[in-house]
Amino acid sequence: MSKTTQIKEPNADHGRIQQIVVFKLGQEEYGLHIDQIREVVITPVITRMPQTPSFVKGVANIRGNVIAILDLEDKFGLADHSSKRSENNFTLVIESDEYKMGILVYEVPNTLSISSTSIEASVFTGDQHAEQSYIAGIAKLDKRLIIMIDIFKVIGEQEMQHVFKRQNPQTQQV
Amino acid sequence: MNQDEKDQEYREIFLAEALENYTEINRLLTVVEKNIGDSQAIHALFRITHTLKGNATGMGFDKIAELAHVMEDFFGEVRDGRIALGSDIFSSVFKAADVLGELIEAIKTPKDVKYRGIKTKLEVLIKNATEGTMRTEHHPASAQVATARPSADILPLQAGDESESAGSTQVAFSDLIQVSVKKLDNLLNLVGELIIERDRIIANNARSHTANEFSRLNRISSDLQYSVMDVRLVQVGFLFNKFHRIVRDASVKESKQVNLKLEGVETEIDRNILQVISDSLIHLIRNSVGHGIESPEERIKKGKTAEGNIMLSATSESDTVVITIKDDGAGIDPQRIKQKAIAKNIIHAQDANQLSERDLIMLIFEPGFSTMDHVTAISGRGVGMDVVKRALDSIGGTIQVDSMIGEGTIITLRLPSSMAVKSTLLFELESQTYAIPLSYTESVISIYKSAIHKAGQGLVTVHLGNTIHIVFLSDLFAQSVGDSRGRYASFDQLHGEQKLEVVVVTFNGKRIGFIVDKLLQQKEIVEKPLRKPFDTISFLSGTTILGNGNVCLSLSIPGIVNALFTNQVNKTVNA
Repeated sequence: MSKTTQIKEPNADHGRIQQIVVFKLGQEEYGLHIDQIREVVITPVITRMPQTPSFVKGVANIRGNVIAILDLEDKFGLADHSSKRSENNFTLVIESDEYKMGILVYEVPNTLSISSTSIEASVFTGDQHAEQSYIAGIAKLDKRLIIMIDIFKVIGEQEMQHVFKRQNPQTQQV
Repeated sequence: MNQDEKDQEYREIFLAEALENYTEINRLLTVVEKNIGDSQAIHALFRITHTLKGNATGMGFDKIAELAHVMEDFFGEVRDGRIALGSDIFSSVFKAADVLGELIEAIKTPKDVKYRGIKTKLEVLIKNATEGTMRTEHHPASAQVATARPSADILPLQAGDESESAGSTQVAFSDLIQVSVKKLDNLLNLVGELIIERDRIIANNARSHTANEFSRLNRISSDLQYSVMDVRLVQVGFLFNKFHRIVRDASVKESKQVNLKLEGVETEIDRNILQVISDSLIHLIRNSVGHGIESPEERIKKGKTAEGNIMLSATSESDTVVITIKDDGAGIDPQRIKQKAIAKNIIHAQDANQLSERDLIMLIFEPGFSTMDHVTAISGRGVGMDVVKRALDSIGGTIQVDSMIGEGTIITLRLPSSMAVKSTLLFELESQTYAIPLSYTESVISIYKSAIHKAGQGLVTVHLGNTIHIVFLSDLFAQSVGDSRGRYASFDQLHGEQKLEVVVVTFNGKRIGFIVDKLLQQKEIVEKPLRKPFDTISFLSGTTILGNGNVCLSLSIPGIVNALFTNQVNKTVNA
């Protein structure tokens, strides 16, 4: 979490080099601070779960841990149905004290070193709702534009519970 | 476990706690010595000596109790500012702590410890202090002198008699160690994974090697698993013994006379299960005092003894622990429950008429139900009974209430004695493997589609004279993730001659048949609880990892049945 605050205050430390992991969602490039990622694995068999929103693909066994697998393309509404997916997709394993989860990516993510000054912290994306806050900044690199996200805000507790609750009335209509 | 062993175990536990208290007293004393104004440490000292006194009294270690009592009084005076601490006072307090340590040590290796001298010394200090304050009321200016002086005079005089008697500075070690539950949970998880891994290896090599090759691995890992489970077992007595106080407080508040009797306190149960149900038990006991036991006058009028009786007992039956709470109070009136439930819109009047008395009583576990017309201090807020139910559901326990008006009520809780291993039936559904706990499974039947009928809002079949509500799990799960398929989607697609595998479960007297794709095998699974963000999923109780490395979901029958059932209740209320 402390890393995201660093990203938000680029002026605090002039030009510090940060390592970020960049992955593609839809046609856009997204970035996560490398400290938030534990490992990248080839996506194991996913077991679908009942009573979950559609962006939760299910759970998988990653090194003996049962981990939630999320599809952020689905979550962000970026799903690109035109292009065919290769079978060998990857899972970024994210770990915090509270959560362990995997994020599906379709291309090998790569690591980039960027200067913290090239991250623009305050971004207004035209969406005043709470979800906007998961965008921690925009990194500009030559012609590339990388959207830095705060992964724990994306699947923050309230957010998740909100989604689950919305889901629940439908479960009642059995 | 016989009486001697039990005593021995209690003594060991007391010893461990007492030694810990003793260490803590010493630590706090050094803190206070460095900073006399540290009121927090003084408060802590008061509390610890108080606890120690209570524990020692309970165990019958009178010497420890006496000394701890005086120390408690002493720290009470210090706390209230009537004794000002000085270096000479400290020496006698430390001395008292040392003697206390020796007394505790003497439980293990009996020896005669002189403690009266130091006890008297502290008593004198306290006496002087109280007299001192009495005087200060008249002469505020002399307060400081009055409190400090006498102690200074007396202390050094008596220090000689039992000081430096042997071993006062020896470090004491207890035979028990305290381990955090988190570490135990972790250990159990690891053992669980080991068992899964073992099963996988054995399955993979079943053909190439003889079974003997793995029998040792099998035995050792099973023993390890049971040992770890055994470590997590605690006696229900640790919880039950706290109820004396709870019953006392509750009965004083309600001006009732209640006698609590405990039975089977040595019954062992998984520590986490005991923790999950502790609040529920407190609630049920308070309810027994609040709702069950009548006031003394009323009881005498009914020809009962003025003092009400509550019996809390535990027994273990193979894999279950049965806890019963029995009172000889007024009992529960099913008709009052019925009226109340109808008035509160919990159930429709027509439905209520069809319910048996026992089912009517079960309505008290519905959310928002409370039979008391007025709210009392300890019960009757209308929250709780549904919480009790949910706590039990979460661990796969059941509750049953039997009541006779005017005679009393018996509440029976059936709890798994261990959370670790679950006997389950594995089945396949849409090429995924699920586990269904055998404790809820009544039977497995095979029927043709033609035997299933659309009735009212759902599907039913009749098997061996029982009406079974049929649920297509695939439809239920699809709907739960937002698929808006129809009520009969899977059913209508089936060919008329299709044979279906049905797992029949019962929960709370409701019989439901789940249609599954394929039955696999019975298996003992080590279940992992659902972690965030899945902890809100009610259809599942946990997950396990199969031999092939895939995740298997373990169904929560209470969760599914409740979802199905509350839905039906809602519909009748709305209709």
